[in-house]
Order: sequence, then structure tokens, then C-alpha cells
Amino acid sequence: MTDSPDLERGYRRLLACYPRAFRREHGEEVLAVLMASAAPGRKRPRLAESADVLWSALKMRLRGPGPASENRPWADALALFSLVAPLFLLLVDILNVALPYRFRPGARNPFARDFGIHPQIGGFPLLSVHIFTITVAAEAVVAVLVLLGLRWAALAALAATAGYWVAAGRSIPWIPYPLQLITTGVFIVAAAALVASPGPRRGRQLVNWRLGVVLVLAAAAAYVSTFRYDTMTFPGRLLVRQPPTTTVYLAGSVVLAVAAVVLAVVWKLSPYFLLLLAAMFWPYAIQLAFVSTGGSTDLLGNPTPLHLVALYLPPVLFAFGVLLTAVAPRRARLLPS
Amino acid sequence: MAQRAMQEATFLILTALATTSQHGYGIITDVTQISGGRVRLRAGTLYTALDRLRSDELIAVDREEIVDNRLRRYYRLTPKGSETLADEAARLQANAAVALKRLNVSRPDLAGGAA
Repeated sequence: MTDSPDLERGYRRLLACYPRAFRREHGEEVLAVLMASAAPGRKRPRLAESADVLWSALKMRLRGPGPASENRPWADALALFSLVAPLFLLLVDILNVALPYRFRPGARNPFARDFGIHPQIGGFPLLSVHIFTITVAAEAVVAVLVLLGLRWAALAALAATAGYWVAAGRSIPWIPYPLQLITTGVFIVAAAALVASPGPRRGRQLVNWRLGVVLVLAAAAAYVSTFRYDTMTFPGRLLVRQPPTTTVYLAGSVVLAVAAVVLAVVWKLSPYFLLLLAAMFWPYAIQLAFVSTGGSTDLLGNPTPLHLVALYLPPVLFAFGVLLTAVAPRRARLLPS
Repeated sequence: MAQRAMQEATFLILTALATTSQHGYGIITDVTQISGGRVRLRAGTLYTALDRLRSDELIAVDREEIVDNRLRRYYRLTPKGSETLADEAARLQANAAVALKRLNVSRPDLAGGAA
């Protein structure tokens, strides 16, 4: 053991490489161990010691907030969300393929002929759209990676999927616009959660069947209400002439969403987690509310910069806030008197 | 899904905490002793491992002390940590038993005193 001030300064410089939150919590503790381990008379850190501390600091930075976080419920909610969001995306896509909205047979509509063998929204014809198929396959890869707990691989796959979807998705008219909205909202918040949380491996420890039920209901609500939007916008509005039908779908969507919220409250799911879900659904909800109240359908169809701000500013700000929590200093623990 | 085998350093850290709570430097010296000098943990490696073990709820902070103006934080095994260590020890023991038994059959000279 040594008390050399030069050596202590050297160690403190090395410790500066750790994330600020870790330094506040463990900096003095690690310094004490380094000083206790040093041979008497040593003035500078040894090369091997320096490499070990630098490597450890790098791993800490890549790992995100650790267990010392004072705000454990928030960290857990992020971890859970980083696991659940990719699964949710995949589930909504599966529902869109498995349960299409079929137009009423016999409806005399000249535009229906143009749709030939696809008188429906969604369904298996979606799989013939390469962009959709590739995106769903990529989402399945992301889902598998988060289930395996591979946070950084999942983040890379998510970024690639989002880039491809945003760049290519808008050129496909058969993909329901709300689906694009939901997906984009999920991409934004999920990426932030993957970076800032303890990771999907921690999320795997927290997931339970109640959460699964709430998510299935939420996915079903999102899926059903895509019809409401699609029957009011081109080309759906040319094909659907029965407004009550869309009203029924809208009502069904609301019932499913309310059921999901009620169960979440009754089962006391983490309010932080519900907040993350709310941020994820924001673009979708604002679009649906806009159309349902008779507003313009151009919010997404021909979006102005102001439209894009209304749709995505809250999720982007929320994601930014999530990332800030990863680097914000934690409150120092008080020593016992 | 198959559970991954525990890293040796992790196993030794948990073993060091099996009987009593210890601070960082105490864990380092104990691990060196347990491993017969073969494993020498450095501070960075130790605290990366401790952070992960706390995250997995295998260890927890027991208490904190100030000694010679330096902070000492003591860690202890949690019940989950004890259970995990016991499982891993049993797994290693079972594997070692099989290995020694087979060596006893084919190479009695390598099996040592295993009967």
C-alpha cells in the first residue's frame, strides 16, 4: 500500500474514463483498492493496471446504467421496454397479415375492379410486397436478438431495419399508413431504451404473462384501428362505402385499448413502462384522433414540416430524455454516520 | 434455453463472499488465495464483475466504512447469489467426478487419489 500523491493523481486521471454516474458511486472505492494494491514507492500506475481500468471503463460505458442507479424502477421499465417493443412490432405485423380487412362483397364500386384479386386491406398479399416482407423479416431478427439478450446486435439490426423502412416504406400504398406510424414511433423509443437501459436480458427477468396479455390487447387495438384510417384515406375511401363499418372497427379498437389500460392499472404494471408505451403510441394516436375528428388526412399523406413536428417531436424528445438518464449523474449515496 | 457456464473469476468472487461480506481489496486477496495464486484480479476487472453481479442481484452492498480516509464498501451474497453459487459448484463437482472417474479407468496415474 502507498500514499503517493502522484500515484493517486494518476489513478484519478484513469478513473475519469468511467461514466460519471459510476464514478460518483464507486470512484473513491475503486481508488482505495488501487492504492491498496500498489507496491510501496510506486509513483505511476503500471501499464497493465491502466489497461485494465480503461477496458473496464469502456465496458461500463457500453453497458449503460448499472445497478447502482438510484432510479431502479425507471431502469427496469426501460429494460422491459427494450425487450417488449420489438416483439410488439412483430405482433402487429403478424396480425396485419393474418387478419385482413375484407371489403363487403357485392358493393358496387368501379374502383374495386382495379384491385383485382386483392379486395382487402392487409392479408397475405402484403407478403408479396418485398419491402414489407424484408422489413418484417428484419423485425423478426431484432426480436430474436432481444430475446437472446444481445443488446448491441439488436440495436444495430433495429437501426438497419428503421433506415430501410423509412427510406423504402412510403413508396408502398398497400401498407397501412398507421402501421408505418406505429413502427416509426417504436423504432425511435426502442432504440433509446436499448442504449440507455440495463438491456433486454434484464427485461427478460421482468417479463410475465400479465404483461403479455396487455401487450396483445394493445397490439390488437392498434391493428384494428388501422382500418379506420385506411377506409378514410386513399385508396380505401374509394372502396368502402359503409361508414358504420368503420365506426364499428373504431369502437372495437377503443374497447381493446381501454381493456389494455384497465388491466395495466388493475395489475399494477410499472407506470414508467406505461409512460414508455404512451410515447411509442403517440404518433399513431394523434393521427387517429386527427382523422376521427374530421381533420385533414394529409397529416401523414402529405405531411408538412409542422405535421412531422406534431407527430414525432414528443417521441423524439422522450427518447432524448431517456438517453439523458443514461449519462445523468446519480445521487451519491450517503455514508452511514 | 441452456444457461451459460459461470466464468471462473465470477465463481471465485462469489466464493470469496460465501462465508462473510468483504470489501474490494479483501475480495482480491481472497480470490488470489482461493485460486492458489493462479487468478489475480485487478481493480477494473473486479468492479466490472461486481457491477454485473449487483445487476443480476447475486450480491448486494452490506455496509460502508471509512478507513484511513478511504471508502470501503462491503459486499455480501444475496440468497439468489448463494443459490447460484451452490448450483454452479454442484455442476462443476459433477463434471469433475465424471472426468476423474473416466481417468481412473483409462489413466490411473492421472486420476490421483480418486477412487
